[in-house]
Amino acid sequence: MIYAPVLFVFIPIIIAIAVFLIKSPKAHYLVFLSQAALIVLFVLYALFLSANPDQNIIVFGGWDARFAISFYNDWLSLVFIGLTIFMWTVILLYTFKINYAQKKLFFFLMFLEGVFLGLIQTNDLFNMFVFLELTTVLVTILIVYRKGGEAFKAGLQYMLLNTVAAMFFLIGIILLYYVYGTINIRVIASEIALYSDYNIVKFAYVLMITGLCVKAALFPLFTWLPRAHGVAQASISALLSGLIVKAALYIFLRVNFDMFSNAYSMSEMFFWLGAISALVGVVIAMSQKDLKQILAYHTVSQVGIIMMGLAATGPIETLFTNPAAFGGLLHAVNHAVFKSLLFLAAGSIIRVYQTKKVYEIRGVFKTMPWTAIVLIVAMLSITGAPFFNGFISKSLIKYGFKQDALKMIVFTIVNLGTMISFVKFSQILFGPKQKLIVDRQYKQHFAMSLLAIASLVIGLAYYPIFKSLFALTWGGALYLDYLIYIEYIGYMALAVLIFHFVVKRDYLPFRLLRGSPISFLTANSIFVFSMIVIGLFVFL
Amino acid sequence: MNPILSFVVILIGIYGLAVSTNIIKSVFCVTIIEAGLILLFLNLGQYEGGLIPIMEALGIEIVDPIPQALMITTIVIGSTITSLALMISIKIFHITGSIEWKDFLKRK
Repeated sequence: MIYAPVLFVFIPIIIAIAVFLIKSPKAHYLVFLSQAALIVLFVLYALFLSANPDQNIIVFGGWDARFAISFYNDWLSLVFIGLTIFMWTVILLYTFKINYAQKKLFFFLMFLEGVFLGLIQTNDLFNMFVFLELTTVLVTILIVYRKGGEAFKAGLQYMLLNTVAAMFFLIGIILLYYVYGTINIRVIASEIALYSDYNIVKFAYVLMITGLCVKAALFPLFTWLPRAHGVAQASISALLSGLIVKAALYIFLRVNFDMFSNAYSMSEMFFWLGAISALVGVVIAMSQKDLKQILAYHTVSQVGIIMMGLAATGPIETLFTNPAAFGGLLHAVNHAVFKSLLFLAAGSIIRVYQTKKVYEIRGVFKTMPWTAIVLIVAMLSITGAPFFNGFISKSLIKYGFKQDALKMIVFTIVNLGTMISFVKFSQILFGPKQKLIVDRQYKQHFAMSLLAIASLVIGLAYYPIFKSLFALTWGGALYLDYLIYIEYIGYMALAVLIFHFVVKRDYLPFRLLRGSPISFLTANSIFVFSMIVIGLFVFL
Repeated sequence: MNPILSFVVILIGIYGLAVSTNIIKSVFCVTIIEAGLILLFLNLGQYEGGLIPIMEALGIEIVDPIPQALMITTIVIGSTITSLALMISIKIFHITGSIEWKDFLKRK
């Protein structure tokens, strides 16, 4: 059982090759076999690891641990492995019927799952870079899978920008190797204090953080994300938004909090980085008229909110004792659930209505009742309604800066903006029944229902779940306070008013925001510029 | 060779990415950045008079083998990226008839 992490990587890859090689389309059912095997293996491995917490590291090839390639697992990586397997199961269920005969798509999807699980478990900075680049290549292929001019443009921009970011991440790794003589994360984490005053280590830190900001789509560097989300098919958008962006946040946790948190404390800077991206994302999302673009810009803003929570943490062990930091981690999981649900439901709607314009789609509730119901669950989650999972994590994040008035104002504005743009989004539900061909897609409905149930379960039973899994002692009795209901309804009423009197009239600033895409060339200049800004924060 | 020189190569690549309007040029600017960082790492790993790290050289002064092992992987990754990017550029040329970023953006 100690070698289960290797199987996590190789089961999906072997299944991918099998799917590609066997001619019959019936072989595509193998992907579900692989998911079932992964789920069983994951449960067994989690039980094994909680029984033997000291066997969490595998060193390959019998070399000295300082130089060898190794895998390392703790509760943080277990959370992300569980999320990955769950999300992949849902997305395979959703996309199976649509792409039934597309063996290449299943090959790339399963291969990506193996690579992704490797990225989560690796304990070696260079392997992290290799997995990161493999993820970039595979995701690019999945983005351009529906061949079209727009798709190729977005895919190439995604790939070049992310490759440059990963290259700078690698330069940081090289400089760290030059100073510490190893690229093993655990060894560097234990020895970081020795040389952390050196300018070269600070420089490496700046390069790595800036590279990760591109991957995580934080404020000035998010330009690739809306384009890539807009052109990909629904399941790939859900994957990008739910997991690929989270991979950057996971590496961010590993690099920033596991390795460097003993050396530098940058939590204020990261908080404001997150706050600005949350604000900018939400403002641009309000101005959009395309279903998928609204959701894509919300990914930017939600990643900002996650960052606002995660910024509060110090060393990675304090993630449990600190409500705001735990809320950030929980929001990463919750966002994966509800944003994928939104993307999948929007994909179903777009396929039936054949348009992406938010003001042209009407009567979804009567035409596609089940899709509309899961869509409502997702919208309530993302706006932070009580009893849904978004509410739990947002309350925890808010808990971290209750005393700071300025931070609370920023957070409230972001929340209000989210509500406004989802009031806009919900306009598609109303209206009379449309005469459209709606085919019964039981697998799709099942996949979306799984996500909706997950968001309800986390929202309702969060206290027993966290108490048994992580032995948390705080955070109960959240729903007894009647103020939260009044607060939510009040903000919702305000959001409806603002939508009708400001956003719907589409004033000039909104039109300007909607029509100004940042080009690829500018994005590169912004990359260098933000590197300089982060450098100023680190060095001064 | 001075490590500063490899940073100069990397900066040239970044400058090229920020100003070149041609898609093929952008792809090769990424390759230039990659070449710069390979030079940087190999440079940090070697010293005057060190031998290449192969088995026959055991017992004699050899250079650090890890940078070379890592950089050969980076070269492989770089070639993957470059070939995929050029492939996509060919597709772009077939669809739009141009390999300029600007022409491409206009056709939105």
